[in-house]
Amino acid sequence: MSRIDADTTSAAIRARPARRRRYALERDGVLGSLMLGPAVLYLVLVVGYPLVLAIMYSFSDVTVGSSRFDFAGLATFKTAIHDPHFPAVVAHTFIITGISQALVVVLCTILAFTLAANFRGKWFVRFLVLMPWTTPVALGAIIWLWMLDSIFTPFNWFAQQLHVIGPGEQLNLLGHAGLATASVIAVQTWRTLPLATVIVLAGLSSIPRDVEEQAEVDGAGFWRRLFGIQIPLLAPVILVAVLFGIVFTFTDMAVVFILTGGGPGDATQVLASWAFYKGINGGNLAVGAADALFMFPVLLGLAIVVLMMASGRREKS
Amino acid sequence: MADNPLPGPTSKHLIDSVVIPRRDLLLGGGLIVAGAMGLTACAGGSGPSSSTSAAGTAAATGGAGGGGSKQIKILLWSHFVPSYDKWFDTWAKQWGQSNGVTVVVDHINQADLPARTAAEFAAKSGHDLIEWITPPSAYEPSVHDLSDVVSEAVAKYGDQIPFCKFSSYNPHTKKYYGFCHTWTPDPGDYRKSLWTDVGMADGPTTWEELLTGGAEIKQKKGVRLGIGMSSEVDSNMAARALIWSYGGSVQDAQENVTLNSPETVQATEYMAKLFKQAMSSEVFSWTAASNNQGLVAGQLSYILNSISAYRSAQAGTPATAKDIYFLPALKGPTGMALASQHVVRSYIMPNWAKNVDKCKAFLMALLAAAHDGTYNSELYDFPAFKNPTVTTALDGWLKKDPFKSEPADKLDLLATAEKWSTNVGHPGPANPAIGEIFDTNVLSTMMADVARGKSSAKDAVASAHQQCETIFKKWRAKDLVGGTK
Repeated sequence: MSRIDADTTSAAIRARPARRRRYALERDGVLGSLMLGPAVLYLVLVVGYPLVLAIMYSFSDVTVGSSRFDFAGLATFKTAIHDPHFPAVVAHTFIITGISQALVVVLCTILAFTLAANFRGKWFVRFLVLMPWTTPVALGAIIWLWMLDSIFTPFNWFAQQLHVIGPGEQLNLLGHAGLATASVIAVQTWRTLPLATVIVLAGLSSIPRDVEEQAEVDGAGFWRRLFGIQIPLLAPVILVAVLFGIVFTFTDMAVVFILTGGGPGDATQVLASWAFYKGINGGNLAVGAADALFMFPVLLGLAIVVLMMASGRREKS
Repeated sequence: MADNPLPGPTSKHLIDSVVIPRRDLLLGGGLIVAGAMGLTACAGGSGPSSSTSAAGTAAATGGAGGGGSKQIKILLWSHFVPSYDKWFDTWAKQWGQSNGVTVVVDHINQADLPARTAAEFAAKSGHDLIEWITPPSAYEPSVHDLSDVVSEAVAKYGDQIPFCKFSSYNPHTKKYYGFCHTWTPDPGDYRKSLWTDVGMADGPTTWEELLTGGAEIKQKKGVRLGIGMSSEVDSNMAARALIWSYGGSVQDAQENVTLNSPETVQATEYMAKLFKQAMSSEVFSWTAASNNQGLVAGQLSYILNSISAYRSAQAGTPATAKDIYFLPALKGPTGMALASQHVVRSYIMPNWAKNVDKCKAFLMALLAAAHDGTYNSELYDFPAFKNPTVTTALDGWLKKDPFKSEPADKLDLLATAEKWSTNVGHPGPANPAIGEIFDTNVLSTMMADVARGKSSAKDAVASAHQQCETIFKKWRAKDLVGGTK
């Protein structure tokens, strides 16, 4: 072998691993795994670990003041369930989530259609619609707390002007069980509506124009087009938006904690705020974790529904 | 046309635009993540809290974790009287400078203290000293025993007031889990002009008089009473004061649950009557600041609170402040009159604290500065130790308020506050079970349920008793609470 040939061969040998690495990176499986790696690591550290910790806590007798961890079996869950307030807390969680998200479905659809239309100042209206989503939950809840304050609420003035209440009287929006629940529902709707609107708006813009044009040519009016074409086409997108809304509302503790403290009595207490009161304020981490874990089956079910839905549609397509 | 099923290509177009396999993963994953984050936020202990470093020290670099060898990090509430914080921050910094230690002070809202403290204990890292304004008894297993500091303080300055001791000491384990250095009285704050109009110029002296006078004021003037029944500290203190004055209590001196008694039922029935005749439903939704705001706004005739509401009125509505006067605890049917200490400031030193000796020296120095602390709190904080220098000065200030009360001796009544005040666990100590009952609002919810007509007094008290028993049982199993039932 000549010297040149030998050099070429050794260079080729040296280049092989580098090429192999390059080829490996070009393989979808390898590249995909590499790119997903940081996200997976993030999820494991920030979500997975605390979730496992919460599950462990719920089977223990751990408190805020002690790291001692004794296995308590199902005793913690029994304590949580036997609390006289527990059934009402679960019911409130479903009621507040259900009604607020039903409102979101209607309102986000109306808003999306409105924002899809052309009118002057559309960007400003879009900006206003998005505002609640950009506001941190706690800050938004504090603003609403001031707005609904028994003494200083502007709604007292409006109600007095409309003769709903007499002069000097108060609405006490957060002091009555029904009104307090309605207030929590309103704030949850206010805060989850922007995301749903944006999702539906994106879905709306993806409806092919030719379908609508064809309908118009065929003489279909606004309502016919709305209920016959647009909403059926948007239904999967609305469902996705609502599922996100359900998760955000179902797991939220800040609104109830700040706005009503769960009151009057326990009238607006939900699982997330109840878990916080029990686990953090009361120092009973184990029961707090158990209370919080009652949300898990619902959330898991929702995630499964979404994945099945998506998978079904993929097969269809 | 509109009746036609969805055209294939359109459907596919939409589906493709919305869902692709990787998006499925992200979507489902996103939902799980959002849900799981909600779950873990509740279970794991990261509540909504915010903190600001108020010390202005150069050493604020450390944040909440760790702690250098020459640094003490202190977490405490943002005082209801801001001038205290201003004084404390400067004083702490100066003390640090003269003792070769950098003192970092973080103030947070008192409502955020439980979440922040829980997070630090979960992480086993954070501040070297944490001050609570309610008894921090749940943290006993993971904090330093401060018996030596208390002993030294007693030797140097005089006895610790018994109810302050029982807000920081567990007689069952014989451990000082906290160092209680101040307390705050919880008198009745009433509007003299309104009560004069109903023939009680000196205000009510009994709960019964509060009912008759308060109802008359509401009827004649439309001004309500303001005793909370919500998830906040003042409501919890008011519920206890009422129950004690009726002869009931959550526990006895041996730490056995005694809530379900005819006296508690009677007190709960009274509260419902008081609500119907003299209050409005606003009391069910109050925060800790609401009764202050109502009094300052001139919309309440009587509240149970410290003097902070009055100080706010002095600054914001001087005319209302002139009309606000103070009353001792109201007497119940048996003549018993007790109020809960409004704020009991106790430091805990977590096991991870570095510079333990310096921390203890800091606490002793703070006690030595009690004179200035009391003054700068505008007489909000009373000394927990009977240091004659401070108590004599305080008596003088109460007789002639240096903060411009009219008349100058308006606060003089508070000189008797020690006699009619007690700790939240009365007649026993403020143990972890009492703490959990307090912080999960068992008593205020019980009162609210009856006042709202949701349940009878008997049922509500029985239900609350059951909750208390469950809580006591748990802490007793951890050997942190005495008693047997």
